Amino acid sequence: MKIDRRFLLRGTCQGALAVMGMPFLDCFLDSKGKALAATGRPLPTRFNTFFFGLGLTKQLWIPKTGGKDYEMTGQLKPLEPYRAKLNVFSGLRVPLDDNPNFQHWSGAAAAATGISPTKQSEFDSKTIDQQIADVISHGTRFKSVSASAAGDPKQSYSSLGAANTLPAEASPLSLYTRLFGPGFQDPTKGDWKPDPQTMIQQSVLSAVADNRRDVMKNLGAADRARMEQYFTSVREAELQMAAQLQRPEIQAKVTIPEAPAEMVCNNALPNLRAVTPLMARLGALALATDQTRVFNLSVSEPGSQIFMPGDSLGYHQSTHEEPIDPVLGFQPRVAQYNVDTMELFAMLLKELDGVPEGDGTILDHSLVFAFTDQSFAKIHAVDGLPIFVAGGASGRMKAGHHVAGDSSPVSRVGLTIQKAMGVSLDVWGKGSMEIRQPYTDLLA
Amino acid sequence: MRKFAVSVLSLTVLGAIGLSAVPAMAAGSQVTSMRRLTQEEYRNSIADIFGKEIEVRGAFEPTIRIAGLQSTSTGVLSVTPVGFESFSSMADSIAIQVVSEKQRAKLPCKPKSDKAPDDACSGQVLSQYGRLLFRRPLTSDEVKRAVKLSNGLAKSQNDFYAGLRYGLASLIQAPDFIFRSELAVPVGNKQYALDPYSRATRLSYLMWNSAPDGELLRAAEAGELNTADGLAKQVDRLMASPRLEVGMRAFFNDMLELDTFDTVSKDSILYPKWSSGIAASAKEETLRTAIDLSLHANGDMRDLMTTRKTFLNRALAADYQLPFGFKGDWMPYEFSADSGRSGVLTQVSMLSMFSHPGRSSPTKRGVALMDIFLCEPTPAPPANVDFSVVNDVNGSLKTVRERLMAHATNSTCASCHTHSDPIGLSLEHFDTIGGHRTTENGQSIDVSAAIQGKKFAGAEGLGKFLHDNPKYTSCMARKAYAYSRGENSEDVPASAFKAANKAFTDSGFRMRALLKAMVEDKDYFNAQPPETTAAPTKLAAQ
Repeated sequence: MKIDRRFLLRGTCQGALAVMGMPFLDCFLDSKGKALAATGRPLPTRFNTFFFGLGLTKQLWIPKTGGKDYEMTGQLKPLEPYRAKLNVFSGLRVPLDDNPNFQHWSGAAAAATGISPTKQSEFDSKTIDQQIADVISHGTRFKSVSASAAGDPKQSYSSLGAANTLPAEASPLSLYTRLFGPGFQDPTKGDWKPDPQTMIQQSVLSAVADNRRDVMKNLGAADRARMEQYFTSVREAELQMAAQLQRPEIQAKVTIPEAPAEMVCNNALPNLRAVTPLMARLGALALATDQTRVFNLSVSEPGSQIFMPGDSLGYHQSTHEEPIDPVLGFQPRVAQYNVDTMELFAMLLKELDGVPEGDGTILDHSLVFAFTDQSFAKIHAVDGLPIFVAGGASGRMKAGHHVAGDSSPVSRVGLTIQKAMGVSLDVWGKGSMEIRQPYTDLLA
Repeated sequence: MRKFAVSVLSLTVLGAIGLSAVPAMAAGSQVTSMRRLTQEEYRNSIADIFGKEIEVRGAFEPTIRIAGLQSTSTGVLSVTPVGFESFSSMADSIAIQVVSEKQRAKLPCKPKSDKAPDDACSGQVLSQYGRLLFRRPLTSDEVKRAVKLSNGLAKSQNDFYAGLRYGLASLIQAPDFIFRSELAVPVGNKQYALDPYSRATRLSYLMWNSAPDGELLRAAEAGELNTADGLAKQVDRLMASPRLEVGMRAFFNDMLELDTFDTVSKDSILYPKWSSGIAASAKEETLRTAIDLSLHANGDMRDLMTTRKTFLNRALAADYQLPFGFKGDWMPYEFSADSGRSGVLTQVSMLSMFSHPGRSSPTKRGVALMDIFLCEPTPAPPANVDFSVVNDVNGSLKTVRERLMAHATNSTCASCHTHSDPIGLSLEHFDTIGGHRTTENGQSIDVSAAIQGKKFAGAEGLGKFLHDNPKYTSCMARKAYAYSRGENSEDVPASAFKAANKAFTDSGFRMRALLKAMVEDKDYFNAQPPETTAAPTKLAAQ
């Protein structure tokens, strides 16, 4: 039997921790005192989500033709540099079945779970990033990391289901501190060594977990589920500690920068333009150094409260109150905000594509799922939700296509993504969004 | 290979569970409420248990608002991995400080040697602090486990305090501290009521927003909280303390939705005076007003709607366009009779929280104030609505009122807008940051309104309308009751707080009378019978 070195840690070091004292480090260093060498495993494929509120303007974003040689549209212009690494999905259906159209929620929830939600602001299952994290994140320090460029920890569309939303880091500094602050051991440095503190913290976590049976007593069903979630979180912290004892195997040549300064993070567009690239950069570095394999970035809530200073209405109010220009046939101010959010999306792609790694970039070894809440925000329409998937998934996803309106449910994109990410599943979504057929043409 | 390591890891955890003993507890007992500590509850508890000099640094998972209260969500939310990561590192950082050389003199005992484990001393420290953290005495198994952890690590590091750090940290990140549970026990005749420690916990977090102190735990242990006299004695003690202010600030902060400020941004071009400093000050202004009226002046809570008395600092004075010649940080101030101001309704807080970044919103204000002060939530608008007319400032409709009225003549919209808009429209003399104005786009603003046939004008009219409306005071009683129990305010039957509301009314709407009558009501600590479920037995059989 081959024995994983982490098994050894648990078995011989952890168990003997109380009597062994400090030399316990020896058990995972080689004879020269260096951390064990890399095993040459292939690079992991990473997953990202990008959330932007309020969709786009139909007449201005949907390319006229499907396939590879589509003409780039005005609203997608900011994405032009990444065209070869991008798939654009138009005409997707979002059947809500018997559930109400929860404004600024149903569309976003459907895209992220393949399920028409039964409650406002709650997902009916784990979101797609968490479903993927369950499969790809073993052995990384953070199972997933989320960030909100608008500075609101609640602007996270990463959830364990129901009210269990995973809070977002709400400033570049807090994102930096979580990723590269205390507890971070820089794998790009030659002197990497595991922190003995980590093993001690593992024994504290074990002690906490040991009380589980007592704590679970006398709980009603709902509270028992909540307490199970607490202990699941404890177990995840234990896994995090275990991951920290192992030097991440990385190929990217990156340098971890100094901590960023405090910044104003809110819904004002100029601030978002400053914060978004910084958070995207930190996310890209976290992926490159294998601190996490799942990074979620949001630039607004559904029903985006983004505003350009001087515009007393702002984005969301404009979608409802700005008249449709009789000549143009659309809402001009809204259309400008649409493009502004695509520019923010391009900032994420730029940072992911800007980190070389092995034979490509982080973006090549990732998938990025960009989704939104409405197709036509003025009337809270969800059918035709604009959806984008960027990145090559380490060669498993073909890109450069406009997949034009074939009336597939939005869940078909989610299923395709998971196939590309190596998740083993045959069916995804529920009700009218239950789907078995991925976009096989896109899968390599 | 990695998967293998993971499964071994969880086996280790599960294996250890099998060894633990189960503490004795009355048959048929059940936890009927389990609330995750809020950020303030956590911080106050740590300060009270370990000392104010202990710093708590870290992020707390957000709460959400349910039926007008964040406290309600604490009974629904759990701890996500991100949240636990933070709880765990905060626990360690607190424990490091508690055993630091500077602080360790405060511990109840000294070890025989600083360099070796000491069962007796670590046991004493852990059970003493454990009792305060868990708000009940620890079981012998709980003490044993924490001592074992401390001693093992003290031995491996040749340092008593280094070991103690981890034992303490394990308690501070335990669910027994992070969640405050209420345990219902059978009291005969198929009735259930909270056990004494759960009573102490509910009282303490309501009155002081913190963990029960030694005296309250003693009273619980002695059974005093289960007698009317003993309970009244402790309630009076809690309410006589200046710390009642801490508890009531937390209540008003929740009830008045002042946390909304955390995500308010204003248009810096249209309103250059606005800064994040003003947001913090505006929140403080409203809290000071509420505390001054309710506790310092023991005033009539209806006056919250009408008083012109307030508190200003330099930033707010600038926002209100008032001179500030005061030497200290905050000065009491009374708006002039012709200022048009009326209670908290016209404070910067209420006016700016429920507005857009660049303009006021009668609808947002109306919806929020109906919910906050009258417990009347407004349903969400239908999905497909044409709002264009509301924004066409170049058309014939100059003011927000005119545009809103045009929109609200649509019959599907009218039912809700006639419900919530009058309140908002009467506040239109105040812009999105709370500044006073009388015209909009060159036309004078009409602030007349009517609710349920009652006509009034302006903020003062609205203040008077709410002041005289029994729904406002009973809404406050309802929120206080739901807040203290972590329940959904919309689901609470009026009968549950009937006695409290009567005492509130009879006293001339004094907050203290409401609180005292509420917690001394004979049914306040009663609980629903436990769910009949076999799951706990199944768990024990694993």
